[in-house]
Formats: sequence, C-alpha cells, structure tokens
Amino acid sequence: MPVDFFLVIAALLFTIGSVGVLIRRNAIVMLMCVELMLNAVNLTFVAFAQEGQRMTGHVFAFFVMTVAAAEAAVGLAIVIALFRRRRTTDVDNASLMRW
Amino acid sequence: MDGGLLWILVESSVKIALFFGVMLTTVAYMTLVERRVSAWIQDRRGPNRVGPFGLLQPMADGLKFLFKEAITPQHAHRAVYLLAPVIIFVPSMVTFSVIPFGPSIEAFGRVIPLQIAVVDNGVLIILAFASMGVYGVALAGWSSNNKYSLMGGLRSSAQLISYELAMGVAIVGVLMSAGSLRLTDIVAHQAAHGWNILWQLPGFLIFMTAAFAETNRLPFDLPEAETELVAGYHTEYSGMRFSMFYMAEYANMITAAALAATLYLGGYHVPGLAALGLSEKLAAAIQVLAFALKMGLFLFIYVWVRWTLPRFRYDQLMNLGWKVLLPAGLLHIVWVAFVVLMGWA
Amino acid sequence: MNLLTGLILVVVLFALLRVFRPANPLLTAILPGLVAVGLLAAYHQDLLRLEFWAGAVGFVAILSALLIVMHPNPMVSVLFLILNLFCIALFYLMLRAEVLAALQVIVYAGAIMVLFVFVIMLLNLPAEEGLGAGGGIQRWAAVLLGSGFAALLVFVLRHRLGRPYFEPGSFVQEFGSARDLGMLLFGRYLFAFEAASVLLVAAMVGAVILAKRRLQ
Repeated sequence: MPVDFFLVIAALLFTIGSVGVLIRRNAIVMLMCVELMLNAVNLTFVAFAQEGQRMTGHVFAFFVMTVAAAEAAVGLAIVIALFRRRRTTDVDNASLMRW
Repeated sequence: MDGGLLWILVESSVKIALFFGVMLTTVAYMTLVERRVSAWIQDRRGPNRVGPFGLLQPMADGLKFLFKEAITPQHAHRAVYLLAPVIIFVPSMVTFSVIPFGPSIEAFGRVIPLQIAVVDNGVLIILAFASMGVYGVALAGWSSNNKYSLMGGLRSSAQLISYELAMGVAIVGVLMSAGSLRLTDIVAHQAAHGWNILWQLPGFLIFMTAAFAETNRLPFDLPEAETELVAGYHTEYSGMRFSMFYMAEYANMITAAALAATLYLGGYHVPGLAALGLSEKLAAAIQVLAFALKMGLFLFIYVWVRWTLPRFRYDQLMNLGWKVLLPAGLLHIVWVAFVVLMGWA
Repeated sequence: MNLLTGLILVVVLFALLRVFRPANPLLTAILPGLVAVGLLAAYHQDLLRLEFWAGAVGFVAILSALLIVMHPNPMVSVLFLILNLFCIALFYLMLRAEVLAALQVIVYAGAIMVLFVFVIMLLNLPAEEGLGAGGGIQRWAAVLLGSGFAALLVFVLRHRLGRPYFEPGSFVQEFGSARDLGMLLFGRYLFAFEAASVLLVAAMVGAVILAKRRLQ
C-alpha cells in the first residue's frame, strides 16, 4: 500500500480545512475546520511511521489528539462565553477588542 | 475468488445470521420477560392471553407498531430524524460481534472461533462503539424540533458520556489482570486464575452501575422518564421508529449483559468441565449454554433492579458518576495494580 | 493511482463549481458519487484489492471534508466531520495502526465531537443563510490560494528527496500494537505524557471557569 496515497489525501484534507477556516464566519465551524487540519497532520504522521517502521509517528499522533481535545474544550467554552454576551457566533462581530 | 476467501465469507455470513437472529429474537422476548417478571414482582399476572403463557405477545406488539401511523414533525430535520434510530441501534450490534460465545471448535477441517470478529483489541472496539451510541440519543433529541426532546437528548448524552468514563476505569482493572486487550485472552485468564468477580468486586459494582446508566435503565432513566420529560428524546417518534428505540434499549442491555458475563463472570468458562473429559463438541455446547445462562442472570438482574429502585434525580445522577464512581474506580485500579504486582492473580 | 487522483480532482472541481451557489446537500453528495461509480465501473477495478477500498474511503473522506466547509447548517457539518473522522480511522487501520484507529474513534469521534454537538444543542444554533461566508472577493481569493496551496503540498510530498528515517527496530509485540505504544509512552516519552495530563487538567479548569454563568 503506497504511502504516497495517504500523504496526498492528508494534504488535500489540510487544504480544505485551512480554506474552511478562511471562508466560514461561524466560530464553531471554524473550530471544526481546525480539527480537520489536525487530523490531516495526524494522518501524515502515521503514514510516515508506517513507511519508516517506527512507532514515533504513532506517539506524536497520540499527543496531537490529546492537545486537540484540550483545545476543543477551551475553544468551545470561549465560544459559549462569547455567545452569552452577543447572542451570535459570528466572529466578525467580535473583531473589536472591546466590550 | 480463491477457496480461502470464499470459506471466510461463508463462515462469517453463517455466524452473523445465527448470532443476530438469536439476538433479535432475544430482544423481542425480553419485552415479554420484562412484563412477566415485573408482574411477578408486583404480585400480579403479566400478559398471558396471546398464545400459551403469552409467548406470542411480542408478535402482537410488533404488528401493533407496524400498523401505527408514523408521524414526522413538520419542522424536524428529516435526514437526521430518520438517521438517529439507526445510529442508536448499530453500536450494540457491533459490540456484540467481538464477544466470544464459546471456545474454538474444529469443524469441516478448520478451526472456527465462536466469535464473529476476531480482533486483537476487542475491548477498545467495545469502548469505541459505546461512545458512538451517544450520538443516536443526542441527534434524536435535536432533530425533533421539540424543546422536551432537546432537553432529554442533552441530559441523556451528558449522562452517557459521564458513565462511559466510570465503565472504562472499571474495565482497566480487568485489562491489567489479564494483560491483553483480546476478549478470549481475558476469558482464558479467568479460567486459569479464578473469575474476576471474586477479587475485583468493587470494579464489578462500578461496572454494573455504569452499565445501568449507559443503557438508560432505571434507576438512571431520567432522560426518558415519562413523568418528567414526556418521553425525553424519543417523544416525537411513533410507529416503527419508536419501536427501533425500544429495541435498541434491549439490544444495549443484552450487549452489556454479555460484556459483564465475559469480563467478570468468566465468559464461557465452566469450572471443572475439563476434568469431565467430554467430547469437544459437547464441551463447546455446554460452554455456550453456560454463557447464555450467565447473560440471562444479568438480564434478570436488570429487570429486577428496574422494578425495585426509585429513579435518581439528574443532579444526584451526575454527582454519582463524577464524584463517587470515578474516584472509586481509580482506587480500584490501585488495588488491582497492587494485586498484580504481588503476583496473587 | 492515477485513477484515484483523477477521482479526487473530479470531486474537487465539482465542489468548486457549486461552492458559490446555495448548497443542495443531497445533490452535492449524489452527483459526484455517481460520476465516481461510473468511472470505476468503466475501469473495472477489482473490488478485492486494498487499493480500491483505500480509494473509496479517500473519496468519502474528501467529499465529507468539502461538505463540512460548504453546508450551512452547523449540526450537519458536525455529522460530516464525524464521518470524516471515521474515514481517517479506517486509514489508520490500513496503515496498521490498530490502537490509534480505536483511539481515534474513542477520543475524537466519541468525545470531542460530542462536545461540539452539545454546544450546538445548548446554543440552539440555526442553519445559516448564504453559508456565512465572507465577501465575494474574499471567497475567490481563499479558493484560489487554497488550490495553489494544495498543488504545492501534493508536489512536495510526491517528489520528496532523500529516504525516510528507516529504523526497523524490534517490536515488543507487533508494529502498531497497544503494547508497543504503551512501552514508548511510558518509557521514552514519559515526560511528555505527564505534561499532557497537566495540560488536560488546565484545559478542564479553564473550560469550567469560562463557561460558568456568573452568579450575581
């Protein structure tokens, strides 16, 4: 199973995630696109681990998953706090660093 | 297609048909068992008119659900509304497929394991699909466009993920003693060193409590309590879709009973069977029967507890999950680690 | 291999054509699927080879990723992300990373996504009008730059020089097994493991404080 295939898929997923962060205005969908990017990176790690027959890639992917969980929790808490103040999840609404 | 692949397909198809046929029949008759046992506990008769001893009652119930009108609420998100009962039913089936029912038998010149999917990390797959079951509840609540369903779905999802942790922590105790993620290895370890329930009793109690909460059974069934939330997350479902939720609850119960029997009661192991020196097929049949009996015991306990204990309030429920079961589970892990290091098990 | 990249290109092109129109999600999912099935049938791919299934799962992964970005309803985006995470778990299985595949489903699809579903249900977010995307020129710029970036990444990855750091070490049980991952996590990377647990505690405390209602 050629590893190149997984690298190409991961590259495409990463690009779709980054374009999603740029295009969408809803904070929750932006967080989801960030998760998509993190998953693409995980896939790259695991693909290279399979090619070099080292488990280091798996360990890195494990830690990326942990950090992604922590980041999703805190990010969503911030979105909830923001929503309580402004009744919207539109990030363009929160562009001024006031109030 | 070469012969090996064809044989694998045939073997898997027969096993799947057999296991799921048995499981779905058991689900149907669990409804009758529940009603008869609850009647016995409440000192009255259960349904005994339809067929001898009421044995055709599930058929009557099934026909009733088939003929009921399936109403879809007007502003419900239709795709997710139709998908939710499927999402809640599939995980219990997948979990059921990694549980071994008996030892491997030799037939037709091959070794046939009595397990649909022989994987190296069966326990992880069980935990994975237990987490997937949360979505059926949450999405059913959200897609119905009804505030009672939304509240019920939210509460139920929170309950499910809280008790998943407690269940995982109890399972870690079993894993530490067996040293492997394969369920057949866990059964083999219990056959050699005694059943886990004997020395992991706190873990067993934590697991049973968590299993009750995971299957939304009393005393933890607030999300679908009739007196509080109309019917919780399945308020807006009628006809066959409602019966899917009903069946999914019993399917989850059966899977949890099978899991408890495998992890704590030695699975298909019968103490003293090897000494009898029976033929291999007969021994395998007796072990499968023993497994079925252990599952039946747990199913009876499920029904018994339901009609005995009152319901937990939601904050008491979350308190129990996070502040009692999780610390108790961690202490249990310390105990199991001590025993394993000492070499007593 | 060429066929699979061709399929992916077909999906990407089709999605780009539709990204500036109100998305009818069912149509968006069915049409490229039919095109892909047609192409595959035309080339008579053997259904038993792993390459075919890898291509099929890759197709579903990319399609669901596009639908995450394009669908106006955030809850449906979450469902497509869950589908995507499942596809990635299947990729891990193909790459012989069994424990990571199970962990992906348990942690990502089973816990993090449940958190997203909770928040959307709590805030009762409606479907957005017009995709909630930025102004016209911003959309075009994002798509063009995104395509350029994708092309660059694919080129770099396909034509990478040098050999990977290949060290066929002896494994305790097997490549990708729980025992080996555990040996590494509790052996060489123990400090990172403990630091990750401190990070999780900090995140937990932070999330509770941020989302708590102020008791007046």
